[in-house]
Amino acid sequence: MGGGHRPSTVPARSGRRAAWVIGSEVLGSLVRLSLEIPGWDAAGPGQFAMLHPEPSRSFLPRPFSISEQEGEMVAFLVAEVGEATREICRLTPGEQVWVLGPMGRGFDLDQILAGGRRLVVVGGGAGVAPFPLLLASVTAETIEADDGSVSAHAQRLRTAATREVVVLLGFRDAVQAGGGRRVEAAVSELTRRGVTCRMETVAEDGSHGAGRLVTDALASEVAPGDSVVACGPAAMARAVWDVCSAVRDVQAWFSLETFMACGVGSCHGCVVPAADGSILRVCHDGPVFSGRLLYGETGHGALAEPAVPSGSSDERGGSCRAGSGDKGGPRV
Amino acid sequence: MNPGRQTHSSDLEVRLGPLRLRHPLINASGTMEILELGEAFGPGILTNPPVSAYVPKTVTLEPRVGNPGPRILETASGMINSIGISSEGMKEYCRKRLPRLLSLPCPLIVSIGGFSREEYVSLSSDLGRALKAHFGSEGWGDRVGLELNISCPNVHSGCASIGADPGETQEVVSAVRETWPGLLIAKLTPNVEDIATIGLAAVAGGADALAAVNTYRGMVIDRNTLRPYLGNVIGGVSGPAVKPLALLAVHQLYSAVDVPIIGMGGVSTVQDVLDFIACGARVVAVGSAAFRDPFVAEALAEGLRGALSVRGLHLDEAVGIAHRKVE
Repeated sequence: MGGGHRPSTVPARSGRRAAWVIGSEVLGSLVRLSLEIPGWDAAGPGQFAMLHPEPSRSFLPRPFSISEQEGEMVAFLVAEVGEATREICRLTPGEQVWVLGPMGRGFDLDQILAGGRRLVVVGGGAGVAPFPLLLASVTAETIEADDGSVSAHAQRLRTAATREVVVLLGFRDAVQAGGGRRVEAAVSELTRRGVTCRMETVAEDGSHGAGRLVTDALASEVAPGDSVVACGPAAMARAVWDVCSAVRDVQAWFSLETFMACGVGSCHGCVVPAADGSILRVCHDGPVFSGRLLYGETGHGALAEPAVPSGSSDERGGSCRAGSGDKGGPRV
Repeated sequence: MNPGRQTHSSDLEVRLGPLRLRHPLINASGTMEILELGEAFGPGILTNPPVSAYVPKTVTLEPRVGNPGPRILETASGMINSIGISSEGMKEYCRKRLPRLLSLPCPLIVSIGGFSREEYVSLSSDLGRALKAHFGSEGWGDRVGLELNISCPNVHSGCASIGADPGETQEVVSAVRETWPGLLIAKLTPNVEDIATIGLAAVAGGADALAAVNTYRGMVIDRNTLRPYLGNVIGGVSGPAVKPLALLAVHQLYSAVDVPIIGMGGVSTVQDVLDFIACGARVVAVGSAAFRDPFVAEALAEGLRGALSVRGLHLDEAVGIAHRKVE
């Protein structure tokens, strides 16, 4: 102790990075916010970042799934659910945002695609947020590099089964369905690069898919041996697990959304119960969890309620559950 | 005291009993999981922590999962939480967490929470034994301190009910004092009529320092259901909203006791740090503000150096200056 100080000319370290808004685009009822984040480390699919405008009327940052990234350009899909997300949705190019991230344990493609499983993606409402990045990662990992070399990992994934990806998106209405546009673009890119990919959009108002629910679409699609990844409202997530667990050998992973204070595991505030009664910190242990861990073996067991607390509240800008934005997970 | 006088890093060094802190900024218990921060931001935070002493989350004797969710929410200029102390229990804590925390290059202030006087005694004895085993001697007094959390608003017995009663406070502190030879801090709740009375009782029981304040009891309503939002209904309010309340608590304690005070409650700017120091805090803790910036303590320490220098004040002169007449 005592001496040994770094001279004050050395800039203070910080876990958070100063970033700048480079674009903000309305996509249906979501806003696609693009940031330039100097020093950004490439995120894995399903990871999130804590965003806090500078200045902000909110005291705490809010978590959002990383939706797309290219170098230091990172995009988020934000749903306005309260004051904090309203502020974020109204940011304009040039404004500053503090960023903590990438954070959390996202979708583990090694595990999800292991053994050449077919991938079924289920997004509900703002829960589409993590999937453009997920699909881009699948592209990167299932095809040959430009120089023709194939990594051991990619080699393993190059089976006929893995080369099919099914994307099912569910929305409330035609306006909200506009939020699926970036997923659609990612699907086109997958197709262009030789991955068989189908996408179906349904909306409860009947504007898409004859008013079917996304879980109905899943029920007619899911087959033994599939891997399902899902993000959306808590009730949807639970229904997805019920559908999956009725079919032999289907694995499912869920990206959850909760209010978070820190995003790193410090506050123990964003916890959800696991099927076995243990407590999971969504930020640190997730935000992506297997259905078995969350809901138990059958999908009809242990938990009376899905992992995410219902009844969004949040007050000032709640955002906790900022639709997709906020970390993209189930919200009620 | 000439304004603009050059200050040096050692000017920020403070003593907290036998602990030497390189600057006055530490963290509030329960707001900074430094091992997890190391995972997220790299091991630099472990080899060069932003805080001058590290205070881990409160440990309880038995494992606890904590309160049902939802547990946190932002409120006007701050937040509310009802974590309810989730802990792996003292046995596991000593086996797994403590050795890693003892390898930090700064002093460690272990926070314990009990549900009876006996539990506090068991916790401090267990810790003492673990430290003796770790260091192979009694010579850890300048490395480790003990904070008694007698102020958590989110558990239903013990803790805060002890800290709300001067008699029980004195008894718990003196019972621990008999088994704990090192720095002993009592962390006080502000949810009392007169915090100075509690502070005096803690000092009478043998506390070497006081930490004030823990969170203020409050609640929030779910805007959709119009029912209590927190699973536990009651939570603890923190952040800038509580700063003026916490400043008053520190001011009152400084008038009442002679031991060092660790001031906290809504600290997020350099001016906040100065305000607490002026009211009588020798050490200042950041809590909620570290959630949005895990390195904020370091930035505040740097800022404090500049702010003192501009005023031509040495840290020692600034502590409690609000109690002295303007010359």
